Amino acid sequence: METSKRIARPIAGLVLMLAVMFQPFDAEAQSGAVRNPRDLSGIWRNQYTPDLASAIGTPQNPVQPPYNAYGAERWRTVDTAQDPTGRCLPPGPSRAFTAPLPFILVQQENMIGFLFEYQTIWRVIYMDGRGHPEDIMDYPEFMGNSTGKWEGDTLVIDSVGIDERTWLDTAGHEHSGKLHMTERISKIDQNTLRWTATFDDPVFFTRPWSITRSFTRFDDSKDRILPYTCTENNLDLDNLRPHQPNLDYKHQPESR
Amino acid sequence: MRRNRLHFLCAGFGLLLAAAPAVSHHSFAAQYDRSKPVTLKGTVTKMEWMNPHIYFYLDVKDEAGNVARWAVEGGNPSGLYRAGWRKDSLKPGDVVTVDGWLAKDGTNLANMRTAILADGKRVFGASSGGDR
Repeated sequence: METSKRIARPIAGLVLMLAVMFQPFDAEAQSGAVRNPRDLSGIWRNQYTPDLASAIGTPQNPVQPPYNAYGAERWRTVDTAQDPTGRCLPPGPSRAFTAPLPFILVQQENMIGFLFEYQTIWRVIYMDGRGHPEDIMDYPEFMGNSTGKWEGDTLVIDSVGIDERTWLDTAGHEHSGKLHMTERISKIDQNTLRWTATFDDPVFFTRPWSITRSFTRFDDSKDRILPYTCTENNLDLDNLRPHQPNLDYKHQPESR
Repeated sequence: MRRNRLHFLCAGFGLLLAAAPAVSHHSFAAQYDRSKPVTLKGTVTKMEWMNPHIYFYLDVKDEAGNVARWAVEGGNPSGLYRAGWRKDSLKPGDVVTVDGWLAKDGTNLANMRTAILADGKRVFGASSGGDR
């Protein structure tokens, strides 16, 4: 009895996940009403944001994060030829959600998974009430360690242990191993998720700061997640040359 | 009807996205020099439809008849695929005119902005350039 239950449950979970993943694209539900607000599953398209300053401010008037002196100097001197993803390392959670490639969100009661086309990588969000591992700061992960909970119909994700070698964007905004990232995801309508990410890192910033982006439902009846195997033919690596675009950046600490 | 219209809109949006620059895995300016535009006319010898960006190779003949081999980098295969391009949209033997930018390292390498076939047909609307 126990054994069959042990087998039956994951199978039922998998069947449910597959059913949810391959449900038809819901065009009729465009009208605005949100059905099943806690069902975030589906294939979603990111809002491409290579420079987070354009999301803190606007593309026309970008605003830098509230850097402290150390963070400002790192930004001023960053060399974009050293981009970790240029060497095909995993993008980290911030870039995975701002790259111009889609992801699948799969959902179970105790676990949410993000399967990213970009760099063919995933994140797992533990929803069973556990905390982060005690030694996570000593054993960081490129995509961080994430737990989640519901606040009303908003999914709140708490991530720590994000490897400091990842960048927050293509522009070269960096962070330390002490980054604490909080993400809030809510369903605005059947075909739109709103994602707000808050970055709290006392090594780089004077205060937490946030950006908000949208994810748009991807028509999975007409398309699919495609291969992205970065090491397949990464010829670019040999041609990168030092590039420091921010050397004239002047740090202006916020007045309190 | 509504469903069809939405699909049409989605397709339009997809093309828009695909036409936009699509580098995400490193800065464009660490590899290419925007102040050095280049036009290359040559014969395609090879297509590498691979990640993270496609490359194809051209034999470019100068006025004296000397042939130089050039590498041309384009967009990410999945973005190009969604925009309707396929790996044989450009074939060995095709004569193509490429507008783009030269690599910073001075080698025979360019990043494509547009590629136009001898019959005027434009291929691979997406560059891998654009951000910073």
